[in-house]
Amino acid sequence: MAAPMELFCWKGDWGLPSVDVDCLAVLTYARFSGAPLKVHKITNPWKSPSGSLPALRTEENGVISQTHQIITHLRKQKYNADYDLSARQGADTLAFVSLLEEKLLPALIHTFWIDAKNYVEHTRKWYAESIPFPLNFFLPNRMHRQHMERLRLIRGDAWIEDEGELEKELYRDAQECLSLLSQRLGSQKFFFGDSPASLDAYIFSHLALLLKANLPSSKLQQHLKSLDNLCNYCVSILSMYFTWDMAASQSTSPRRAQAEPQDGDEEPHKRRNQILSVAVGLIAMIGYALLSGIVSIQRGSAGNAVTGRVVIGEEDEED
Amino acid sequence: MSLVADAFVSQIAAAEAWPENAALYQPLKGEQILLSDNASSLAVQAFLKMCNLPCQVICRANAEYMSPSGKVPFIHVGNQVVSELGPVVQFIKAKGHSLSDGLDEVQKAEMKAYMELVNNMLLTAELYIQWCDEATLEEITEPRYSSPFPWPLNYILVYQKRWEIQRKMKAIGWANKSLDQVFEDVDQCCQALSQRLGAQPYFFSKQPTELDALVFGHLFTILTTQLTNDELREKVKKYKNLIDFCRRIEHNYFEDHAKDTSAGGMQRLPKGPSLH
Amino acid sequence: MGTVHARSLDPLPAAGPDIGFVVGDDAELVEVEPETRQEVLENKDVVVQHVHFDGLGRTKDDFIVYEIGEVFKAKNLIDVMRKSHEAREKLLRLGIFRQVEVLIDTCEGDDALPNGIDVTFEVTELRRVTGSYNTMVGNNEGSMVLGIKLPNLCGRAEKMTFQFSYGTKETSYGLSFFKPQPGNFERNFSVNLYKVTGQFPWSSLRETDRGISTEISFPIWKTSHTLKWEGVWRELGCLSRTASFSIREESGHSLKSSLSHTMAIDTRNSSILPRKGALLKINQELAGYTGGDVSFLKEDFELQLNKRLIWDSVLSASLWGGMLVPIGEKPSSIADRFYLGGPTSIRGFSMYSIGPQSEGDYLGGEAYWAGGLHLYTPLPFRPGQGGFGDLFRTHFFLNAGNLCNLNYGEGPKAHLRKLAECIRWSYGAGIVLRLGNIARLELNYCIPMGVQSGDRICDGVQFGAGIRFL
Repeated sequence: MAAPMELFCWKGDWGLPSVDVDCLAVLTYARFSGAPLKVHKITNPWKSPSGSLPALRTEENGVISQTHQIITHLRKQKYNADYDLSARQGADTLAFVSLLEEKLLPALIHTFWIDAKNYVEHTRKWYAESIPFPLNFFLPNRMHRQHMERLRLIRGDAWIEDEGELEKELYRDAQECLSLLSQRLGSQKFFFGDSPASLDAYIFSHLALLLKANLPSSKLQQHLKSLDNLCNYCVSILSMYFTWDMAASQSTSPRRAQAEPQDGDEEPHKRRNQILSVAVGLIAMIGYALLSGIVSIQRGSAGNAVTGRVVIGEEDEED
Repeated sequence: MSLVADAFVSQIAAAEAWPENAALYQPLKGEQILLSDNASSLAVQAFLKMCNLPCQVICRANAEYMSPSGKVPFIHVGNQVVSELGPVVQFIKAKGHSLSDGLDEVQKAEMKAYMELVNNMLLTAELYIQWCDEATLEEITEPRYSSPFPWPLNYILVYQKRWEIQRKMKAIGWANKSLDQVFEDVDQCCQALSQRLGAQPYFFSKQPTELDALVFGHLFTILTTQLTNDELREKVKKYKNLIDFCRRIEHNYFEDHAKDTSAGGMQRLPKGPSLH
Repeated sequence: MGTVHARSLDPLPAAGPDIGFVVGDDAELVEVEPETRQEVLENKDVVVQHVHFDGLGRTKDDFIVYEIGEVFKAKNLIDVMRKSHEAREKLLRLGIFRQVEVLIDTCEGDDALPNGIDVTFEVTELRRVTGSYNTMVGNNEGSMVLGIKLPNLCGRAEKMTFQFSYGTKETSYGLSFFKPQPGNFERNFSVNLYKVTGQFPWSSLRETDRGISTEISFPIWKTSHTLKWEGVWRELGCLSRTASFSIREESGHSLKSSLSHTMAIDTRNSSILPRKGALLKINQELAGYTGGDVSFLKEDFELQLNKRLIWDSVLSASLWGGMLVPIGEKPSSIADRFYLGGPTSIRGFSMYSIGPQSEGDYLGGEAYWAGGLHLYTPLPFRPGQGGFGDLFRTHFFLNAGNLCNLNYGEGPKAHLRKLAECIRWSYGAGIVLRLGNIARLELNYCIPMGVQSGDRICDGVQFGAGIRFL
């Protein structure tokens, strides 16, 4: 067999293998289907071959960066978790994934990125601490803007006008969605009986993130915690498929994890940081020199040319 | 009045009977309405007919801007304005009419999920074809969307709308899809619907639900709308049970005025959506 | 050497000392600068030989020549001084000089005539770019206004201004270019490009206008005329979800392209709190024939008469009226109709809250009239007379008016009857404060009468600020 596929995704925390919904979905699917992946858990999306996370580097199709496409690709590689499903169940998978995307995802985005308290105290803090310097100064903001834009585009323009109304609507939809999922799951182990399928990967990724994050304010989290079967579902998947990761992530604090080189990834990291910081310093210095230089040159020439018309800036000073 | 959000409003809504002058607003049927808007409008109309609530269809060139959410169609009942199928269903439910009361919890979950499937895939695909496929955009969308506006507003507004939709496609990850991939998605979606429907008359056996209204609105519009090529229609036509399903709803709920709108509409505006 | 500083002339002709007085000063000046050759030039014929300009930078000479041409025509010294003074006024009005000083001197040099005179204008040009920065608070929002002005852009008094206002809710901007005809400042041409957003809570309406307009102004005899073409893209929307359905129906985009003509005769001594004179302004607007999807003919007029009475009091009467006739099938748009009521028109009613309405949102009317009778007097006991106190007036007023929609099936008689029925009127008294020569503030006690159902009144104390008052 050829070289294994490489998966780049956000690193984990809070007892989860990854802190990003999409990454988590791909990771979970890979575990379910038993796909052998070389996983790079990183904290710098610029290091991903596609510039975004998750990304799958494959031999034949290059780099794939969208969750659906990655899962489809894995499925085509014979790592199919949906092999046993009937056509009807396949249809249900499609329908419930749509339900998640339309109803739960907007509320998740709102909870993690738009809700001011959560964003500042939780999401922004985590990303700012995890992303290496100097990217941590602007990447979280950029992600924030992207998510806001995304929510605006999904929900239409109206939400800017009355945010309170939108919030209520979002959370009502999401709570309904959670209740529906709870109903659908019932007392089963997985959504389609005893073995996990791709739908479980999608649903688990959304639910686990909401369940495990230490959000300072979350109505949605409260609602999820009140739905026992969904909570148990998440916990059992975590313990069945991610035991090793959980142990690893609990033993290492985020800071130490950053200090320890993983797969030798940290090496170019440091170098780039050094180069970047030197470059920033240089630019600042040259900029300052140039600026002050221009000013002094202009002043000097104006002083020499007594009879000539003076530049506008100088005129102000004469008055 | 605002969307039916809380219990208080629901109570008010329930207190009022369904008025005679209830109206549904949509863009001009002949020369303006687009595939996606027509589908959404037809879905709401079908739903109201299934609930046996009379509603007059009123066409306005500025329907999109009149709607509180910026999306068509919307209904004007009493002094309340509600747009899109989801809120309309909630609103009607508050008035005491519901098509999904007979379903058990799991069925309700499935119904919601399939409705989102239609919104997520069919509606998005329709928007993609309308606004991101150059040929359709140039031949159908541009002239139709800009028809009520004078120069140079026609160009500006089409451009604005197009930009908006393209950004939305980008945000949901559809921007990189090719037209064939979109058709593939439509096919997948239809296959799922066809599987779910099976040999039943409606999605949940004997009685229609809002899901039936939504699926009918989209599939019927796709089947009866002439686009630049027939590929989209062919995707739907592959599924015999879906076509029968559309015929059934058309026959049961739209029969009475199908004749007058269909024949005329078909001849006058071959590119416009019409019933047949 | 007789040197006269025309600078001592006040730029305000109304309050300035007259020419004769300054000439009388001449003798004194001569004493201050004792010279061997002393001559009284007062009534002697003189010839203006040269006109010099000091301090001209980018202003073009040919443009200046138009403005000071008259100076050469002066025949005696008084004439020279008057003409120079007028030229100075004209130069200042161009808005391109910060300072203009006039120096009149006898001519020297080889070609000097015995009665030759040189006039020297010492000017300081305005800077090429001036900027301004303001913050404004009002109407539940704050905004920051940045302004950039480029006076004398190409050297012939062209002016380019740019204003950008960034608010908590809306941003708007305006770019305008202005060019006068050389030698005739009243004949000018301007182009404007703008975006304005307005919120009208009395109609639950939000309007965003993006437009371009060109204007030509010119005087004919005593009247001033303005011809204007305007193309506006208007976007109307509901201010809130609770807006009435009638407002909802008006939402959307429209394009108005209109030609309008305004004629005005203004003989008042001041536009705010005039003491004498009259104003007649007639405006007509024809929309639709030059493009766009809005067609109407709009006429409106404004008449104001002021009469001075005893004890510095002024009686002022004004009458406004207007009519909007939609052309074609389409009914008139809410953005074009007239509104009435509020502290600047019929006092005692809320802002624009008279006439047709739907669920509390006022829709405006297609025809209106309004009249007002005011008696302005100085403050009782005249505190601060000759200073701060002169900015204030007390006034007693009687306002009346009506606003309605027209039904074209009924004929003109029915319209007149409609406007004469159910007249809203109000009376009261209050204090008026003049803010410079631009705006005025009013604090009134009003008693509204003839209130019709649906009107929103504001009886008792009402505060008003504005530029144009009934």
